[in-house]
Amino acid sequence: MNEEHLLRVNNLTVRFPVKRQGGGLFGKSYLYAVDDISFEIKKGETLAIVGESGSGKTTAALAVARLVAAHEGRVELDGEDFLTLEDAALRKARAKVQFIFQDPYSSLNPRLRAEAIVREPLKSLTQTSKDEMSAIIDRLFEAVGLRPEQQQLFPHQFSGGQRQRIGIARALSTQPELIICDEPVSALDVAVQAQILNLLRKLQQDFGLTYLFISHDLGVVQHMCDTIAVMYMGKIVEYADRLSLFNNPQHPYTKALLSAVPSVDKKRRAQAKRVLIPGDPPDPINPPEGCRFANRCPIAEPNCSKSQPPLRDLSDGHKVACHLV
Amino acid sequence: MSVETEEIIEKARSPFAEAFEMFRRNHAAMAGLIVLILIVLAGLLGPFIYTGDPFEMVWAPFSPPGEEGYLFGTDYLGRDLLSMLIHGARVSITIGLAAAFLTVFIGITVGALAGFYGGFVEEALMRFTEFFQVLPTLLFSMVIVALFGASLPMITLAIGLVSWPAVARITRAEFLRIRELEYVTAARASGVSNISLIFRVILPNALPPIIVQAALMVGSAILFEAGLSFLGLTDPNIVSWGQIIGSNRPYILDASYTVTIPGVAIFVTVLAISLVGDGLNDALNPKLRQR
Amino acid sequence: MSALLEVENLRVEIATRDGVAPVIDDLSFTLDEGETMSFVGESGCGKSMTALAIMGLLPEKVGRVASGKILFNAEDLTQADDVRMREIRGNDISMIFQEPMTSLNPVYTIGEQIAEVLRRHQNLSTQQAWAKATELLDAVRIPNPKARVNDYPHQMSGGQRQRVMIAIALACEPKILIADEPTTALDVTVQAQIFDLLRDLGRDTGTAIILITHDMGAVAEMAERMIVMYAGRKAEEGPVDQVIDHPRHPYTKGLISCVPHLMATLTDERPELTEVRGIVPSLKEFGRDACLFASRCDSVTDKCRTHRPEEVEFKNKQRSACWFAESI
Repeated sequence: MNEEHLLRVNNLTVRFPVKRQGGGLFGKSYLYAVDDISFEIKKGETLAIVGESGSGKTTAALAVARLVAAHEGRVELDGEDFLTLEDAALRKARAKVQFIFQDPYSSLNPRLRAEAIVREPLKSLTQTSKDEMSAIIDRLFEAVGLRPEQQQLFPHQFSGGQRQRIGIARALSTQPELIICDEPVSALDVAVQAQILNLLRKLQQDFGLTYLFISHDLGVVQHMCDTIAVMYMGKIVEYADRLSLFNNPQHPYTKALLSAVPSVDKKRRAQAKRVLIPGDPPDPINPPEGCRFANRCPIAEPNCSKSQPPLRDLSDGHKVACHLV
Repeated sequence: MSVETEEIIEKARSPFAEAFEMFRRNHAAMAGLIVLILIVLAGLLGPFIYTGDPFEMVWAPFSPPGEEGYLFGTDYLGRDLLSMLIHGARVSITIGLAAAFLTVFIGITVGALAGFYGGFVEEALMRFTEFFQVLPTLLFSMVIVALFGASLPMITLAIGLVSWPAVARITRAEFLRIRELEYVTAARASGVSNISLIFRVILPNALPPIIVQAALMVGSAILFEAGLSFLGLTDPNIVSWGQIIGSNRPYILDASYTVTIPGVAIFVTVLAISLVGDGLNDALNPKLRQR
Repeated sequence: MSALLEVENLRVEIATRDGVAPVIDDLSFTLDEGETMSFVGESGCGKSMTALAIMGLLPEKVGRVASGKILFNAEDLTQADDVRMREIRGNDISMIFQEPMTSLNPVYTIGEQIAEVLRRHQNLSTQQAWAKATELLDAVRIPNPKARVNDYPHQMSGGQRQRVMIAIALACEPKILIADEPTTALDVTVQAQIFDLLRDLGRDTGTAIILITHDMGAVAEMAERMIVMYAGRKAEEGPVDQVIDHPRHPYTKGLISCVPHLMATLTDERPELTEVRGIVPSLKEFGRDACLFASRCDSVTDKCRTHRPEEVEFKNKQRSACWFAESI
């Protein structure tokens, strides 16, 4: 095993029971939100999971953090299986994995003061003395660009960007190694997004953090991440480092996704071959047998709907799940 | 890195402090609150200032208000109506508060467990709640009082038992909504235990509609008690407003004031409670407030 | 020839707890027939308010047009009564909104909702209206329109619902279509479909489109001209390519460079994003005789803090409300 990998996720599967139509009282079927995905992140690097709504990217993130139960798979953190830990060991591991949420308006408890919000993980996960906690909170507020006197305010007294800073301070409080960022800027105004993105990158350098970055915004992903996994309907369809994914996308879905992003760059607009994909993703409860993208794919062949393409290594770790590439 | 705004430092204001500010600006609600406070004071301090036994015959029966210095006159047994009203206020408000407390206690427990755990727990608890909800309320409480005697605690219990399903439903709905919010997930990521999640994280945020419901519950409990007393299902050794009306019912045409005056007392009290409840609703409902 | 829509010195005020605030302050612009124009800016800058003012849909009792004119085909809409405005809204100017999930009535089929508009505004018979509804669904590229016309909104995806909204908006062949963040709630591949559709419809029907968005990329792909709004005022206006190439207002510059865009070729370089520090000022600040961007501007001077900048026009039709527009 490679020692420099902080996180290794193997064959992670998450399913939710759904009431099937006409299935009777006990006719249970499952929606596979995340279906057998694997990825790994090196210490200090950033892996992005991109995809559109319903792709399972957020569920995958929650499962890695053990905030939804995984049906199958291993989540190895520093060589330990995070999913099987209990009690004290779990608390210790939880302190190493923290989460930054998407919506700064609903991710902070409105009844708590900013300082109490940042204190919460410290209190539940670590054995820090009161004085020490206050010192840590002071330092964190400074690190995320908030003034000390703002510690006593309540969430509704902050702007969206400031709230997200509180959320970041909370995630940093237990000195985690891995931070999972679930669409950390998509609820913010564009000008404020830049402030938060810059802050996240600066904190990564200062504290040597590793990020698992969930986003639908390819521009942001391009800026923040070293490796990218593209998800479609619970599966990883392409997995590559930043330069090869953006400059040399292989999977037809990735190509369509990239070409759909509007750009201010005239050159890009001129050279872009628009790959328009028609329609919507199929019903996730009854996914098609073969490639899940087949019904919208511009290059699909009859064979594509027969079997699922495995994720294959093309070269140098650039992996694609497509029969035709 | 930048500090976002250079405005003057704000004072910390909790959501409840803001709600109170909002409530204070609502004139109708403030008027209701003042009336309510006066009634409670009358019930608490009245017996010490206006001494006199409400059961004692002090003057000729059916003397109209004002006669011989008796502000509200006397009833069919010649008892001082003002004294009865003051003592009755105690009883009515005690029953109102106690029943509302009981209602909220049962309702929150059932609703919180159902909403938080979901699945089988929720199914079972909600069927149980529905069982109480479909009981004909007046009949059910009459049965309880008839079986176990018409004492104050029994009446309170009867009212509580028939009114808690409403609170349970509201609590469950709020729990279902709030448990999906990201700050609850964040608390779980911070390793907060389930008990803490229920009582320290979710419940405080679920309280606003429950508080409103509880306030209105006090009013409806008073009405309920009045109804039971009117039907004679009450402890004859205590005075309550409903009981005054009930006992004077045969003389409604000859001495209408004996019924009207306690009736007005009930009306004013319940109205005041409703105004306060409405005011609380407006103040606590974040949709009416700017973010 | 006069323009299709001419807005002159428009001032819209809304009542707040702390008094009256001008959410649109001295805004002038024109829109020609068949043109696509874009309004950009952060939330709270008056983009949506402009749209609502044109539609005569300002929140009642709270907002009002305080002064200025909105001339549609030389008719001043600020003076039009309710009956006339309703006519215009149905027939000449229509609008689509951000949230396709909530803008359709869930208890009617989409066919009924489109037909209703046609009956009301074009006096079509039920049958004619129904036939036209099917046609419109086809025009907005909903597959199998004959069957889908009987669907209820919950049976459609977000992208399809937005198409239905577009179909309703286009039902009466309006002269102007206002699209208020039409794709913000949608996935990017669906956004591309909707943009494609809007572009084609604009070309085929000659409808002028006002696109309100916060996404510079969307502006670049969709619009010919753009107006950058800041705190209720026009910061900059001009042809899209020129403005993006060489913004003449520091706010525009910030809006463009604070977003990590996808470029033609990606390189290893990842420079720190330019920040526009701070946030949009509160409504209390609106209307002051100063540049409202001063508190966030890197090259602010005393003049900016005490005098509202006048608009400068450049040869290429770019206009900027900055005291230092020439030197940027």
